[in-house]
Amino acid sequence: MTAVAVIGVGQTNYRRAHKDKSSRELIWEASKMALEDANMDIGGIDAIMAGIAPEALSGEGSVERGGMMGVGKPFLRINTGGVTGSSTVFAGTTYIQSGRAKAVLVVALERMGQATSSQQVFNTIFDPVYEKDFPLTTITMAALRASMLMRMYGYTEQHWAEIAARSFRNACRNPHAHLKLDITADDVLKSPLLAWPIHRYEACPMSEGACAMVLAAEDIVGDRNAAWVQGAASTSDSYAMGDRIRRPEATLVDLLSLRLSAERAFKQAGIDRPLEQIQAVELYSAFSSAEAMAYPALHFCKPEDGPRFVEAQFSDPSLPKINPSGGPQGANPVSATAMVRIAECALQVRGMAGERQVADVDRAVATGQGGATQFSTVCVLGKKKVH
Amino acid sequence: MSESELIEIAGQWNFNYNYFAGESASRFFRELRENQRIMGTRCTKCRRLLVPARAFCDACMERTNEWEAVGPEGTLDTFTIITTQFPGLPKPPIVMAYVTLDGADTALINLVHGLDMSDIDKAARRLNSLPRVRTKFIDEPKGRITDFSFELI
Amino acid sequence: MALENVSVYVEGVALEMSWADPRRNLSEFIFDTVRNALDDAGGSLDGITSVVLAAHDLVDGRSLSSMVTAPAAGAYLRDEIRYGDDGAGAFAAAVTRLEAGECERTIVAAWGRSSEHDVDAVSRTLFDPIFARPLGLEELHISGMRAQDWRRRHGGDSRVAAKQRAAAAARNPRALHKGGFKSAASYPLVEADLPLWGDVAAAMILTTKPTGVRLAGLGQSSEPYWIGDRTLHEATALRQAAERAMREARCKPAEIDIFEIDGLTLYDEAIGLEAIGLAKPGSGLDALAGNEKCNPSGGGAAGYCAPSMGLVRIIESVLQIQGRAGGNQIAAPRRALATGSSVVAGQTQTAVILEAA
Ligand SMILES: [Zn+2]
Repeated sequence: MTAVAVIGVGQTNYRRAHKDKSSRELIWEASKMALEDANMDIGGIDAIMAGIAPEALSGEGSVERGGMMGVGKPFLRINTGGVTGSSTVFAGTTYIQSGRAKAVLVVALERMGQATSSQQVFNTIFDPVYEKDFPLTTITMAALRASMLMRMYGYTEQHWAEIAARSFRNACRNPHAHLKLDITADDVLKSPLLAWPIHRYEACPMSEGACAMVLAAEDIVGDRNAAWVQGAASTSDSYAMGDRIRRPEATLVDLLSLRLSAERAFKQAGIDRPLEQIQAVELYSAFSSAEAMAYPALHFCKPEDGPRFVEAQFSDPSLPKINPSGGPQGANPVSATAMVRIAECALQVRGMAGERQVADVDRAVATGQGGATQFSTVCVLGKKKVH
Repeated sequence: MSESELIEIAGQWNFNYNYFAGESASRFFRELRENQRIMGTRCTKCRRLLVPARAFCDACMERTNEWEAVGPEGTLDTFTIITTQFPGLPKPPIVMAYVTLDGADTALINLVHGLDMSDIDKAARRLNSLPRVRTKFIDEPKGRITDFSFELI
Repeated sequence: MALENVSVYVEGVALEMSWADPRRNLSEFIFDTVRNALDDAGGSLDGITSVVLAAHDLVDGRSLSSMVTAPAAGAYLRDEIRYGDDGAGAFAAAVTRLEAGECERTIVAAWGRSSEHDVDAVSRTLFDPIFARPLGLEELHISGMRAQDWRRRHGGDSRVAAKQRAAAAARNPRALHKGGFKSAASYPLVEADLPLWGDVAAAMILTTKPTGVRLAGLGQSSEPYWIGDRTLHEATALRQAAERAMREARCKPAEIDIFEIDGLTLYDEAIGLEAIGLAKPGSGLDALAGNEKCNPSGGGAAGYCAPSMGLVRIIESVLQIQGRAGGNQIAAPRRALATGSSVVAGQTQTAVILEAA
């Protein structure tokens, strides 16, 4: 089977609203940059995969079709909520590995600036029969888990605040980031409480923007600066959060779907000592608690050692750098966020991350997280090709 | 119109749906309205009692058969306290919690009432002890999930 | 094209067309069909590590449909992906997973319930809010324009073809025989040309282990976004998709025994038959009227709801090849071509050729 590489990355800047651009112009802009980075034109692309999550956020149906480029190519639209971006990348790598394409353009767009009430929209993702009458939102879902982590593993509000402040500070070095805040944990704790234990400065912004990448089979990569897809895995879990609370094999905060994805992706990539073999990590952690849940799932530490792992990040330079781009707290264009994680890892591996570049990156790992913390993806990118 | 003016067009995104609750949820809601009890269904394969009641077990991809009542008491598993008003959603503070009712294998979400909310941190500490709770029904149940809530014992 | 050593086979299928069955919620509706497809494949989930779905949030009335519905389709702890695309597109994606060696067995499923949502209102969202939506455009209006463009060039009307199509649907035991409804027809379309909106779920188990039905060819293509940039009386993307599928299967239209063409209206089906090369330009309606190989399922008259239709067409083809079609069975077909389209006027198209193995 052919190896697949990321040979081009394009990102618009992420911001609250791009009033100066239509949806299709955003798709086009990111795609054009990715093609230029890959030193390719659209004629070299065999198929296009486009990712858009809740259409209610943009108020447009099948908006990705507006970004149709290079007529006459296979074109598919992916919608897997929070993991839309990474699912779209994986759909592309699969297409190449099937032998049906040599080069695939993948693009994801978020247009939520057009929505007048996004949390109301997020409420309509829940089961209309049993759950719609409750104020369930992405924030309250995260809060339910955060309180469980505090009780089970000893996390405190201070840990959540330290993680959030670090991400916002990292975002200051990312020119694409939407929210760049030079703040401390104290500032986070002093910000208003949204849903206990989540403070405003822990929540991610609502961002618009598009991300695109060019994926290529090894025989057309040539001498291009490539980040090789060493591992890619995706796992879905039950929707019912209540079913997972006391599940013997893994509770709600054990992120079984992320652990299973990590184990598969790491095996493909030949990773058996993740803390030593990975230099940069881009986590789809819309909240600090989501980052904490990812540590044990990625085999960075045992669940009960999570709070100490947060502290060690600030003192041990040998540990992988987490969210050098600022992560979803720096910008959260929902449909694109999981692709942005992979794109940022590709930039790190290719040594093109500018001010946010981590030193000597051989491997970087990107995660995706969506649904009711139910869809998880892990993507390993590296300087060397495996297979 | 100035040369730099950017046009915004107002739009709406309202659609009408008839969501079919189906036989299982209908019976679950009927039990709420008529008998003020909470029912689960048991998976024929893994034997878990799934609450709220449903027609199939997604882990096994098998149908459920037996119906059993759970509760009325149970244990709180996790919670959040909503302290900020979001447009279109109820007025804070609101306590929302997952509770495993006695006899059930899965947890059920609902609101928790009757807690002193004047000090949010104090309320959080109380809830963090995973207290026992009981279901409390409204005076005139309508067959909706909002017919009941939880209160601390 | 695909890896030489991997062939894709159909292991089990299931299809339901019904109307407003209040006994089942959407998840239960999906579960029944997926469970039936698993049972058709022998009942076991062993070795199924992949689930590929096609579903639309607006059709399902859930702003992230697969969050609630994917577990009903077998997603639990499996590598599940949902396409906001036609079921034939999901089928193609599932095929690439098998060909890439990612899995050995996969579920493919697609669904939509016309009885739960407002079909016309959802159709209007497909048009961009700046130039098109203020005009109140619906997909069927574009089909009307396609029909008019076609009629102006070729003349004729759809009466005989519509009668034949209705008769085929009446013979199809899986068709929607009770309930459903039709939207208002815009000139030159008449009611008999329109799709019968129904509740549709389709599911299939694909495998790399040989069974009686093999995938012989697969092709996909797309057209420009702007309707005004397209040639409406033709179906260019479908022509390209079918050419690619036939090249892979090394066959010509004359060597194919069954054609199951997805089109929103009767005219779209006729234009589709011309695009794949079975009928000459202008003779698509005649083919539907007189050639029993063309849409023996009854096409859109048998029941319709996006985004399941491409997968429905594929399943109808499988049942024909297996000799299990029932009242609408065509004598011993060996090879079938099925298509699925997505978005306005079939902007994206997938063509699939299946053969008796
Ligand atoms: Zn079970």
